[in-house]
Amino acid sequence: MQEKVVIGFAGMTHLGLNSVVAVAERGFECYCYDADKQLIGAIAQGNMPVVEPMLPKLWQKNRERLHATSSITDLAKCDVVYIANDVATDAAGQSDLTKIEALIRQVAANLNNKAILVILCQVPPGFTRKIAYPRDRLYYQVETLVFGKAVERALYPERYIVGCADASQPLPETYKILLQTFTCPILPMQYESAELAKIAINCCLVASVSVANTLAEVCENIGANWAEIAPALKLDQRIGSSAYLAPGLGIAGGNLERDLATVINLAQNHGSDASVIAAFLQNSNYRRDWALRTLHTKVLTNIPNATIGVLGLAYKANTHSIKNSPAIALLNYLHGYAVKVFDPVVSASVVPHVTPAQSIESVAAQADVLMIMTPWDEFKNISLVNLAKTMASKIIIDPYQVLNATACLEHGFEYFTLGIG
Amino acid sequence: MTIMLEHLNATETMPTRVVVMGAGGFVGSTLVKNLQKHGFNVLGLTRKNVDLLQANAEHALTECLQPNDALVMVSAKAPCKSVAMLMENLRMMEVVCNVASKANLSQVIYISSDAVYADDVTLATETSVQQPSSFHGMMHSVRELMLTQSVVKGTPLAILRPSLLYGEQDPHNGYGPNKFRRLAAHGEEITLFGNGEEQRDHIYIEDVADIIRLTLLHRSKGTLNIATGVSTAFRAIAEQAVAIAGKKVEIKATERKNPITHRHFDITACHKAFPKFHYTALEQGLAKSCEPV
Repeated sequence: MQEKVVIGFAGMTHLGLNSVVAVAERGFECYCYDADKQLIGAIAQGNMPVVEPMLPKLWQKNRERLHATSSITDLAKCDVVYIANDVATDAAGQSDLTKIEALIRQVAANLNNKAILVILCQVPPGFTRKIAYPRDRLYYQVETLVFGKAVERALYPERYIVGCADASQPLPETYKILLQTFTCPILPMQYESAELAKIAINCCLVASVSVANTLAEVCENIGANWAEIAPALKLDQRIGSSAYLAPGLGIAGGNLERDLATVINLAQNHGSDASVIAAFLQNSNYRRDWALRTLHTKVLTNIPNATIGVLGLAYKANTHSIKNSPAIALLNYLHGYAVKVFDPVVSASVVPHVTPAQSIESVAAQADVLMIMTPWDEFKNISLVNLAKTMASKIIIDPYQVLNATACLEHGFEYFTLGIG
Repeated sequence: MTIMLEHLNATETMPTRVVVMGAGGFVGSTLVKNLQKHGFNVLGLTRKNVDLLQANAEHALTECLQPNDALVMVSAKAPCKSVAMLMENLRMMEVVCNVASKANLSQVIYISSDAVYADDVTLATETSVQQPSSFHGMMHSVRELMLTQSVVKGTPLAILRPSLLYGEQDPHNGYGPNKFRRLAAHGEEITLFGNGEEQRDHIYIEDVADIIRLTLLHRSKGTLNIATGVSTAFRAIAEQAVAIAGKKVEIKATERKNPITHRHFDITACHKAFPKFHYTALEQGLAKSCEPV
């Protein structure tokens, strides 16, 4: 049956690409539309514009079912069409919806008269109901993209949250066939609930991260170790084994910030209290600068002309994205210092005033301090023996504990990380 | 008003001339010496040159200014502890505002205070809530607003908010480093409030002058706290003062009458504004302050 249901994705962005390979992997024929002909040409060749584990491999595996096209009329062949463009945000987390609105209008005008239109991208509550498309064929589906795990999340969703005009009505057969293939719970609800559910999920994640970040700093000040505490919390069923309790340098990437900004806007418009959400953002901004504060307090105060080695630019491992990256935030405020930078994926040329390095070793050579700002797997195997030989001063700032804290201390390094006092 | 400090000069550029209004005070006199030492063209104005409470003050100050001067406003009757003092301070600022609204200035810098923040702000940043509980804090808060509304559009205004100051020439003998070091130097008993548990951030006066100098060199606008980022309990300060004095001095605790409060500063904004600047640690600053005693 599923061979007869044809799926379209409009917008070959991070969201669209990872979603479509997962659907193709389940055996569906898919049309991958984007107006950017150059992008479509690259994708058709298997050259993915985003970095995600498994993405190139799955594209290659399913390429017979994946039709990359820049012709919007191809979407007329589809039974279900997803709007999957990433929605851009500004520095304050505010979404620019103009492009997505234009795309929806263009796509809707080219669909067949039975096609289901599904909004998959990040839109604020109230957006879907305003779309000019027959309500019984218009749905909103919560996306659960996680940078660095996008394909895995698309292949094995925990549940589908589906926004409907009338949640009491059954889902259309074609759409139901597609969703049921993934054998997870399907939760239909009204548009506005689904749109807010997505935001609610992210608020809960940010709450966990904010708690971890706040208490990690307390640990740093009183000599406790958050790494010992977090596992105990995860055994509490009310918190959960997958809770976001790893301390980090604030929230980044843009998507969580967008949802927090949306809640604050909604609260302002409707007169409700969102001060806790504003506090999450404030705490995030504060923790983002942990590395800069630590660098000044522990290194630059004592070594005014220190040479600084920075490993990592991406906002997290397994992604090319540098949006709200703590590494970039750090480097922007190191004018006047000698700084060497290496990232396995992102070119150091994105930061004009630093010296790009070609390897971990060249970053570390003669550096007074080594800062590991992205937890790439490559950095886990750094030889402490070699570091000790090559660095000018033996200081490591490693917020994510990519290296083993005890081993660093045993090798004579001053070692600073999140959550350990 | 921009919150975070923003530099209009990406690289350090000496202003044509700096006029310091309030050059006779602790901050002003230290600033003038600091700027002179670094080769600035400085005009220091004291009450003798321009008395901001006199009827002709606006004319007198205007006469002292040249086009393209940078004006640093330090003058205040401080600490401001009464309605009368509050009104005097505001009248002084009214004069400066009237002048700044017409003069061709390259930059205006106002030396405010961390007293503008609410008492319950325990980790202060430049964006902390302004809710002064004292005349002194209210005076600075209103003066900031007065200047913000008055300075000619396009002229950069920097508001700098120092925490508690100390240094050799400090004329105030308030509870804290200045008083403790003087008592210790004379071998006199130091009396603490309670056991001196309160933690505060104390700034060495030369650091204040250095930050103002950097703000001038970068022609910065916006707001910046002047604080070290390290808060110390009064008892620890007293112990340091005694150690530096090298005399046997009793540090006496008293019955606590008020709840313990602390104030810390997140000085990330300073790291970002002036990456190469670092504050003098309290121990070093105290030692420098004590040298001539």
